[in-house]
Amino acid sequence: MQVVVDSLLTNYTRSGSGKTVVVLHGWGDNIAGIAPFLKELSAKYDVVAMDVPGFGGTQAPATSWGLDDYAHFLQSFLTKLNIKPYVIIGHSNGGAIAIRALAHGLKTNKLVLLASAGVRGDNKRSVAVSKVITKVGKVLAKPLPKKTQRRLRSSVYSTLGSDMLVAEHMQETFKRIVADDVREDARTISQPTLLIYGQNDTSTPIQIGMTLQAAIATSKLEIIPDVGHMLPTDATDTITKMIMEFVG
Amino acid sequence: MKTIAVIFGGRSTEHDVSIVTAIASIIKPLEVRGGYNIEPVYIAKDGAWYWDKKLKNIATFQSGEIEDFMRKAPRVQLSIDDGLTLIKSSQFAGRKQYQKIDIVFPAMHGTHGEDGELMGLLEMANVPYIGCGVAASAIAMDKVLAKQVTTSAGIASTPWVWFNAVDLERDLQGTLAKIETLKYPLFVKPAHLGSSIGITKVDAKEQLMNALEVATHYDDRVIVEQAVNNLVEVTLPILGNDDPTPAMLEQPLLKSEDFFDFETKYMQGGKKGGKKGGSSKHGSQGYSQIPADLPKDLYDDAVQTGLAVYHATGCAGIARVDMLIDSKTKKVMFNEINPMPGGLYSHNWNKAGISNVDLVEKLVQLAEERWKKSQKITTAFSTSYLKQF
Repeated sequence: MQVVVDSLLTNYTRSGSGKTVVVLHGWGDNIAGIAPFLKELSAKYDVVAMDVPGFGGTQAPATSWGLDDYAHFLQSFLTKLNIKPYVIIGHSNGGAIAIRALAHGLKTNKLVLLASAGVRGDNKRSVAVSKVITKVGKVLAKPLPKKTQRRLRSSVYSTLGSDMLVAEHMQETFKRIVADDVREDARTISQPTLLIYGQNDTSTPIQIGMTLQAAIATSKLEIIPDVGHMLPTDATDTITKMIMEFVG
Repeated sequence: MKTIAVIFGGRSTEHDVSIVTAIASIIKPLEVRGGYNIEPVYIAKDGAWYWDKKLKNIATFQSGEIEDFMRKAPRVQLSIDDGLTLIKSSQFAGRKQYQKIDIVFPAMHGTHGEDGELMGLLEMANVPYIGCGVAASAIAMDKVLAKQVTTSAGIASTPWVWFNAVDLERDLQGTLAKIETLKYPLFVKPAHLGSSIGITKVDAKEQLMNALEVATHYDDRVIVEQAVNNLVEVTLPILGNDDPTPAMLEQPLLKSEDFFDFETKYMQGGKKGGKKGGSSKHGSQGYSQIPADLPKDLYDDAVQTGLAVYHATGCAGIARVDMLIDSKTKKVMFNEINPMPGGLYSHNWNKAGISNVDLVEKLVQLAEERWKKSQKITTAFSTSYLKQF
């Protein structure tokens, strides 16, 4: 379904009945990418999922956005459709958006953060190394054809574990988002919060989960063994069970 | 050897669908047939024209190589001086490369291509082209005009109203009152877009404003239609000029709460729906029943309605007519007409015994036949008007 929110054509789905669950996907993902997870949730809940601006069927913002913009957009989306979430579930960047939105006053009874991003700068050394590698690589690759340059660039960012090129049209937004830390926002959260992280996650390692757990007084952290970052697709049944126990 | 220019892409929300139609359903079968020089002409999303043999390869678009190509490739100029000629810089000593075109195969979907704009250019160039002409294309791609034309020809539709986006701003209550003459559920549609883009099903009044906002986000004209009870949706591809031939009546297999949205049609391979025991077909447009599972009299009625719509709107070459049937009252209603069906609806023509190669060859013949006929029509004659002035 579509709705116009803050002048952006926004794609969303809604299915099931029960407590209202709002789901936010991660960077470079979309509703279709987490469809099996949404389907499992909708067996028990009224599940609303939105393609975040710039992804799936939702228009990209005309200018680069930061987490504040995304948080404001989430609030506008819910207001427009008169949705009062009982729980908000955010995966990866969707988690960071949810944390910022709650800090800005978004009302929900509970929060679930799946491999949430938003804690930055703890690995300053590796960030500095990555910057040097990409800058040197850019200079060295300059004489090569554009197509080869693009392939090299893509493989360098992928090796470094960066999502910079996952959505090329959103690079400026990506830079703003990864420079924004939500730890202070997390400290303001008073809702019961369930944090779930994959033991093998290299994009948002379990240390991020521990940091957020320490920041959110009302939170508990679950670690799923032998799983990486893509919890909604790679641990669908496990996280659905945990969420259902938590949400009730 | 005749040269056929296949024109695709364009400034349309269906830009990508057009690329697939052009390469998979037109260029490949024309190449298999042989005997033609095929020149692919790609119109980018910004409206720039490119012409290069490389554009026949779908991988050029899938790999992103097209971006590099567009950065380096010369833009195409057109000469429309009694025929169409493509002109571009050969990038060799400043010389220009010319290619006279004998027949044009427009493979455009949606705005600025399927809606008569491109056909106007081709008429000015006086070059034969495949498919509907200027007026039929414009009527078909304006859902309001299409309803007005078919209604005046006595063809039934579900109750509908229309308005301009500006009417919503100037007289919201009046416009809403007009809509309220219909019974829910309703379908709110932008008047000019194809592939179900921007269409919202509205079950209750409180959902109406959001649906209107979505439609006016896409278009300055909106049509609102009353949903049909006991709905059976059918579509009929038709081929021909003065004596059109129908393909098989096709029945998309949808759940009652669904409608054929863009994702169902093109993105998900038609995963919605499905029916046990039917001879369903997973064609380029998803699961459907071919021929439609209808009683003979209703089937024949729908085919005749489709042909009547084709005739009333002045279609030529190819088109696809969508119809809605109330299975209880057995009433067949015109829904929409599509002058350039995605993928030419070749899966249906294949069922009707016409291969992809035969289909494109037949379309080329029809284009030439129509063009020859048009040359016999007097469009200019000598007068003494200027001397008398």
